[in-house]
Amino acid sequence: MVGETLRNLLMIAWLLPLAGFAVEIFGGFWGSRKSRVAAWMSVGCIGIGFLCSLSALLIWGNSNSWTVLDHDSHDETHVDTDHAKPADALATDTHPSPDSHTSHPPVVRGKTVYSGTLYYLARFGSLDISLDYYIDSLTLVMFTMVTFIATCIHLFAMGYMSEELTEELVDHSAHLSNGHHVHRPGRYYRFFAFLSLFCFSMLGLVLAGNIFQVFIFWELVGICSFLLIGFYTERKSACNAANKAFIMNRVGDFGFLIGLMVLWTFFGTFRFGETVNDTGEVQAGLFQMLARDETGNVLRDAASGDVKIGAVTTGADPGGNRTIPYSLLVVAGLGVFAGCVGKSAQFPLQTWLPDAMEGPTPVSALVHSATMVAAGVYLVGRFYPMFVQEVLLTIAYVGCITLFMAATIAIVATDIKKVLAYSTISQLGYMMLGLGVFGWGAGLFHLITHAFFKSLMFLCSGSVIYGCHHEQEMPKMGGLWRKMPITAFTMLVGVIAISGLAIPGLIGLSSVFAFSGFFSKDAVVATSLAFVKDNPSHFLLFIVPLITAGITAFYMFRLWFYTFAGKPRDQHLYDHCHESPWIMTGPLLALSFFAAFCAIGGEDGPLYRLITGDQPAHIAHGIAAAAGSGEITLPGHDAIHDVHGTAGTLALIAAASGTCLAWLLYGTTLVNVAEIRRQLSGLHGFLVDKWHFDEMYDALFVKPAHVVGQGCAWIDKTVFDGIIHASAKIMIFVSKWDKLFDEAVVDGFVNLLGNSTFAFGRSLRVIQTGRLRQYVMFIVVGVVALFAILFTTFPG
Amino acid sequence: MLFDELLDKLITETTSLSLPGFSVELCLSATIVAMLMMRLVNLDRFVPASVTAILGAFAALIFTWLQFRQIGAADAVVSQKIFTGLLIHDTFTVFFRAFLSLFLLLTIALTSLTGIPDNEDGPDFYALLFGATIGLMIMASANSLLMLFVGVEMASVPSYAMVGFLKGRKPSSEAALKFVVYGAGAAGVMLYGISLIAGVLGTADMSLLAIRLGEAAAGGSGGLSDPELRAVSLGILLVMVGLAFKLSLVPFHFWCPDAFEGASAEVAGFLSVASKAGAFGLLVRFALALSGAPGTESLMIAFGVGIGFIACVTTTFGNLAAYSQTNLKRLLAYSTIAHAGYMVMAVSALLVMSNSPKAASMQIDINRSVEGLLFYLFVYLFMNLGAFAVVAIARNHTFSEEVDSFKGLVSQSPTLCIVMLICMFSLVGMPPFGGFFGKFTIFASAFKAGDVHWFMYVVVAFGALNTVFSLVYYLRVLKTMFMDARPADARPVPVQLGSLESIYVIALASFVFLLGVLPQFLSATAGAAAQSLAKF
Repeated sequence: MVGETLRNLLMIAWLLPLAGFAVEIFGGFWGSRKSRVAAWMSVGCIGIGFLCSLSALLIWGNSNSWTVLDHDSHDETHVDTDHAKPADALATDTHPSPDSHTSHPPVVRGKTVYSGTLYYLARFGSLDISLDYYIDSLTLVMFTMVTFIATCIHLFAMGYMSEELTEELVDHSAHLSNGHHVHRPGRYYRFFAFLSLFCFSMLGLVLAGNIFQVFIFWELVGICSFLLIGFYTERKSACNAANKAFIMNRVGDFGFLIGLMVLWTFFGTFRFGETVNDTGEVQAGLFQMLARDETGNVLRDAASGDVKIGAVTTGADPGGNRTIPYSLLVVAGLGVFAGCVGKSAQFPLQTWLPDAMEGPTPVSALVHSATMVAAGVYLVGRFYPMFVQEVLLTIAYVGCITLFMAATIAIVATDIKKVLAYSTISQLGYMMLGLGVFGWGAGLFHLITHAFFKSLMFLCSGSVIYGCHHEQEMPKMGGLWRKMPITAFTMLVGVIAISGLAIPGLIGLSSVFAFSGFFSKDAVVATSLAFVKDNPSHFLLFIVPLITAGITAFYMFRLWFYTFAGKPRDQHLYDHCHESPWIMTGPLLALSFFAAFCAIGGEDGPLYRLITGDQPAHIAHGIAAAAGSGEITLPGHDAIHDVHGTAGTLALIAAASGTCLAWLLYGTTLVNVAEIRRQLSGLHGFLVDKWHFDEMYDALFVKPAHVVGQGCAWIDKTVFDGIIHASAKIMIFVSKWDKLFDEAVVDGFVNLLGNSTFAFGRSLRVIQTGRLRQYVMFIVVGVVALFAILFTTFPG
Repeated sequence: MLFDELLDKLITETTSLSLPGFSVELCLSATIVAMLMMRLVNLDRFVPASVTAILGAFAALIFTWLQFRQIGAADAVVSQKIFTGLLIHDTFTVFFRAFLSLFLLLTIALTSLTGIPDNEDGPDFYALLFGATIGLMIMASANSLLMLFVGVEMASVPSYAMVGFLKGRKPSSEAALKFVVYGAGAAGVMLYGISLIAGVLGTADMSLLAIRLGEAAAGGSGGLSDPELRAVSLGILLVMVGLAFKLSLVPFHFWCPDAFEGASAEVAGFLSVASKAGAFGLLVRFALALSGAPGTESLMIAFGVGIGFIACVTTTFGNLAAYSQTNLKRLLAYSTIAHAGYMVMAVSALLVMSNSPKAASMQIDINRSVEGLLFYLFVYLFMNLGAFAVVAIARNHTFSEEVDSFKGLVSQSPTLCIVMLICMFSLVGMPPFGGFFGKFTIFASAFKAGDVHWFMYVVVAFGALNTVFSLVYYLRVLKTMFMDARPADARPVPVQLGSLESIYVIALASFVFLLGVLPQFLSATAGAAAQSLAKF
């Protein structure tokens, strides 16, 4: 019952934006380019979606009496996922779990996953491809977060995009070949239609109950991203950026597809959880099929080393009879992760995200920082039970490289949005790292908090850009806090949040007062410290994020000081800039509240507990090293808790020093920044050129592709066209003869037939003389004739 | 039984049974009286006769709906003889009443749109129209040879007057005269046939004909050497000739093109649809009344095959003769002849199957042949009336009904042309329009009847061949409308989308389309009507 309610609420939240999109895109602009109807409709759809999601979250919480929030310290109660029990998909699966290692009384933590099928797309024998739903605490938190942020950003965009409300818009960034600016009608309604479509796709991705469905919506958010980045289609840079984003994502999706094929071949299903199909049969999902033993390792066949697959996890033969080679399970995991690398702009596919800032700023805030790029992280979290140690280690290293590299580039970026873009990549790296070192909760915790403060900062930057008449270069700004106090204040909240600054000991002795970013980053760093303690050879996984925490604080405060503090560097710009209207600052204030306080209480707070309410079973205790799985030990919650204090202190020191450095360099005039830049010009250039990734890809892939393409074109033009032209000539020759035959013989026959029929029809006119006497006579003749026929043909 | 008891029984039966079963006809009669009375007191200057007529027709439609509900109730008597067995009230009858009332309503709507009877002549015209419709309803519900004749004449006589209604137009008067004389001849022939049948079999009650025929045939050869059977066969033939006149089957079709050309398009539409429908109802009843008599099966199959032969000749003649017509009404007259041929194939199949030794096991197929005929009639109503309506509307602007006056009409009133296109494609029998399903069902039942007599396969082959023939002249009209250029001196036809005329024709065309896309709604009702005739 609760399951159905949740499903219905979330479906409303999911499908309303689609309905909105359909109306907005086909309903057009309601007769006038100046109409805001589309925008209000879009806001209405996503706003109602937010209310539905929030009520779904509350209903879900009530259904398990909010046990999910109960304080049970870090000593996680053993959550029994109960793979073997073929439960009704909709039935609540709440039951007390045996507490395996107890000093506490057993606490009832509701296990409250609802899964089922919405619609069957195709069926191949016993194999289904369907649209499913999988609702657990993570789904609900994501839904609420996405719809809330999307609502804020929709409102903000109503103000930001208002210059599109015109019959003729002059795009100063787009030039025609004759040097003039492009004149075009405003596309206000289209922007909101695309935003609605994006919301639908993103929510569909979160609600998806199988990995194939995830893939469908994965591609849908991809196309929305393409449409929105390229919103200013007249600008060449926007078009290129849109293409780049789309193509680089396809590279990752290639891996995704390989992973899907492996899964489909060996598991025969795409579903995450158990579902009851329409014949009433309970079908195990992927998560049930891949069984794990009590050490957290996957069950393997003793002889061959293959991994066992099967719905049966208990009894005489745990894991069933089917197996998958361990290496292919790694391939499947890496394949799915490759998709996540593309979507979340991780190394080595990170270069599209900074270019994606060509899109309007609300898009950057919604799609390219808060939600879509986080989808990769979300999928890693969602698909966590399927990842084995090697895959997790890869995820950790990819995240580690990404977070460091992006942070270094952010130091030298001068475009306000580019700084935030690199910061986004870096923070996504943190999330991946957190997930990779077995901090499932930590990674996703950071995903949620980051979504709030990064969308806030992007909107702030949007407000600045709007106020400064589309100036994005920070060196021209400065001292703007006097002109736009609300923006400056909310931005500061975001900066403090992302930097992870905190005031220790303000509330009680052991606790700290801090904004959301501190807690989530603290969780990631603590997990990686625990991981490194168990696996000392991977010490970089702790050192790098720790240093980067300092770099993060540095570049974020650099941005703030550059933009808002000090003296105006461009007096003209300063004189003309202004604070944004309430429809833009309102969402800023709302978001800044959440950016500051959403993670209150840290890992004992409500948000973290909500996220981890339905965490995969094997996480709580970590995974002991096992032969053949890279000899990696993954830390459990106890191990993480032990090092939490140390990690938190180290991270805070790093952040504080980064902040001080930024203040020294940019907040005061004590140090000449230009001099430092000159001294380190080699490094500076390297960073400004983004580690030369674009050049490298250009040389490695684009140029060879061009060469191959030219070769193909040459072959096409000379060889294939030649063959085609020749065959066309032969065809024409044959047709000429065919035509002669057709005209002489076939047409002649048909004409003869037609003419004779027509002539016969014409001759029938003769009978119709129009003479009445004759007509009456025909009655008599007819009767007599018919009777004669009857007599002659019917024997007596 | 005392005379006054008899009288009491008659009175109670009439009031409780017969009159409610006759309510539709009574309603129409009341409307006639109302219209004429209103003119007497000059009320028709304030309430035009067309309004009264529309209200009357609408009331009749409501009555048929009530009858449908009553007869469709679970415990209802499916088949009920009323007026001491002169008429029969069953689903089949009600179906035809509904059909005719609907058609009446549509025709009145068309006439009030095109204004063919002016306000002065309105009551006369509508009185004739209503009278003819009552006659047609009686034809469809006749259970006695006497009512058969009364119905035919009651339908025919007002038709004669309506054909000549365009007073002062010579072709009109000439057509009316031809129609009257021809009709009188046919009526005489039919009356002779009726007297032969009634005389030999000793009854005019159609429900007894088969039994009496079986008794007459008993002991005889079952062939024409038996004098009683010979006389009855001649009688059947003569009655069928009378009906063939109404259906304009070859060789009794001569009146049809002349009458259609002389009459206005509205009247021609009425004659080509309603009068055919009534005659088909009667023909089906007459054919079933004679079927199933033991000893005469082969004779009746011979009649069925004969009708099939007439059907082949009629369709072929109608289609081929339409080729060279230049007047659109005349072309549609030949098209009407051809379509009567298609429809009579269903009657042929019905007669053949009902008299086969396997009749009991073929009941579903027998029902299907009637169902196909009823479906076809209904679609034919919309598509043919649509075509005639387009002709009438265009005539009001161009004052011509020649094919040439439609040249390039699409440039001026695309609505009319597209409706014409839909109607004509449906007349050809193209899916997804209703004509396809009608034709398909009739051909299918004729094919099934081929199991009984091989000639029915020939009939199906002719039907298929004629579908191709008919394509030529329909497409010729469409080509004229769509592909030719509009001559510079042609009168403009400014029928805009949204005008009443366009709404009317679009409504007709959309029914043609709907019946093709969702045939199951109508075919279920038609199936129920067919079932009410079933013997097994």
